[in-house]
Amino acid sequence: MKSLKVAAFLALKSIVRGNIGIIVLTVFMLVLVTMNLLFVPALINGATMSMNTILVSTYSGDIIIEPAGDDTVINHVEDLLDGIESIDGVVAASARNEINAYFEFDDERIGRGVIGIDPVRDEQVFDIAGSLIEGGYLNPRDRDEILLGIQIAGADQEDIELYSSSLRHVHAGDKVVVTYSNGIEKQYEVKGIFDTGFIQTDIQAFITDLEFDSIMPNMNDKAASIRVKLEDDADPERVIERIAGLRNDLDFQTWQQTAGLVQSMTESFTLINQILNVVNYLVAGITVFIVTYVDVINRRRQIGIQRAIGIKSGSIAISYLIRALFYAVVGLIIGILVFKYVIIPLEARHPFEFPFGPAYLLTQPSYTARMAFILFAVSLAAAFIPVWRVMRIKILDAIWG
Amino acid sequence: MLEVKNLSKIYGLGEVQVRALDGISFTIADGDMVCIMGKSGSGKSTLLRQLGLLDRPSQGEIVLDGEDVTRLSDTARGMLRLQHLGYVFQEYALLAELTAHENVYLPGMMLGEKGIDFRKRAKELLELVGLGKRIRHYPKELSGGEQQRVAIARALINNPRIIFADEPCANLDTISSKKVMETLVSLNKEMKVIVIFVSHDPDDKKYARGLIVLSDGKMVTEDALR
Repeated sequence: MKSLKVAAFLALKSIVRGNIGIIVLTVFMLVLVTMNLLFVPALINGATMSMNTILVSTYSGDIIIEPAGDDTVINHVEDLLDGIESIDGVVAASARNEINAYFEFDDERIGRGVIGIDPVRDEQVFDIAGSLIEGGYLNPRDRDEILLGIQIAGADQEDIELYSSSLRHVHAGDKVVVTYSNGIEKQYEVKGIFDTGFIQTDIQAFITDLEFDSIMPNMNDKAASIRVKLEDDADPERVIERIAGLRNDLDFQTWQQTAGLVQSMTESFTLINQILNVVNYLVAGITVFIVTYVDVINRRRQIGIQRAIGIKSGSIAISYLIRALFYAVVGLIIGILVFKYVIIPLEARHPFEFPFGPAYLLTQPSYTARMAFILFAVSLAAAFIPVWRVMRIKILDAIWG
Repeated sequence: MLEVKNLSKIYGLGEVQVRALDGISFTIADGDMVCIMGKSGSGKSTLLRQLGLLDRPSQGEIVLDGEDVTRLSDTARGMLRLQHLGYVFQEYALLAELTAHENVYLPGMMLGEKGIDFRKRAKELLELVGLGKRIRHYPKELSGGEQQRVAIARALINNPRIIFADEPCANLDTISSKKVMETLVSLNKEMKVIVIFVSHDPDDKKYARGLIVLSDGKMVTEDALR
């Protein structure tokens, strides 16, 4: 206790009476390190969140229901949809069927899937309608209209990812010829073109289930999959249990299980982040090491005198560790405050644009706490090395060289 | 009582060995004030550093109040220095970031004996050495003589049995030197502290009651002067 008291006293005096320029520079370096440590994960979190949101709201829904076993379709879909929508926590459910087809416009011909939907139900589960860039959304009675993703239509937007393999010049109101895999060929008017920013969605085309039944009459009251949207606070596992209680011929997946693309991107981001973090912690450690090393070398004689007058080596060493902790704590606090009150609001006004939309910086308290702990540990370890070396020097050598 | 028995210190410089101290023996009684003299390189400071437990002798014993302190661990020696010994360095050796007051009470904080207000005691000691009005001054704001008196006050904070002073007036003018030496004499008389000081100035013999003269690491004279 006495040793700690003396250490705190020595640390306080050296901070208060020390070289203000060195203290400011060291803290500034640690502020930069802190902001760097916060920025990349916050961007990854924001981008991942943005990606997940767009995935759920335009592609997968919260729960995907498919036929179990060898079955290829879900039967008696209308009753099942009513049953699902009566479960607590379910916002809406939409049945989907899909058939492969070739699209033709002018000289362009491409192959993509066409999805049959009930526009009213589907709009309650997905936000395709909100992503229309041309034209309008499907009506339940539409028969000769089709909704195209931007990656199919092209819409003369040469900067989209799959423009070269799109129909290139299709706009709302144009006519496209669709040849289905069962041989049926039909001309549709493009009712609308959507651009969700999520490429897997934007390579889709939609027709009404009424029209789909005319293409594949045997699919009436059947579906290849059902997509379910949940309330924000609903527990997917509990809802799945309830749905499984309705029928025993269904398979379930949560949106996370279908997010292979997003997951691999997140994993890559996380790996990049970990590499950057190691570099940042090294910068923090080296900064504290250099500052402490130069300081103990300059104060070698003073340290010798302190030991000669009876101050324990442990107290002197702890005083340096307290100073290192002071740099880290102040750097961390300023870094967090600047990040929270300057960087995040600034980025929110000018967000980073990704192919799937804007990404906002998103920090997680658990990550910040872990980062703080590691930063403190690195600073203490970096300060300890030079101090430990000086403490091993004999008193006389420390004082008189 | 401090007894020194056959004390030697040998420094190894490659294959050459230098005997800085060679078979020194003497006894200093409680309340004594002893001057160690000799030419430059005679081993005065080396002897004082062995006595002050800042260094370890190569041979021999240092016995303090009947206990051989020569072979104690570094920690035990540190504790002994803190509790019973005071050291005054030639070059003032104050901590630049602390005021005169803080410099004096710092070792007291380390000892931290219950019931003793080291801040108050530090103030009293600074008044004792004539610096009562300069307690808030930092070392760089004090003259050399004043700094040395702060160092003496610091050496007294833990009521030491012995004060070691290594050429305490080497860097001081005549007036400051006189003040410092008179302070040591007064402490020796009033507080019954053993004072062992090193000096190269023959005039300083007048402050001591005992004299040890060294030459080439050997003790030439041990005299009772008064």
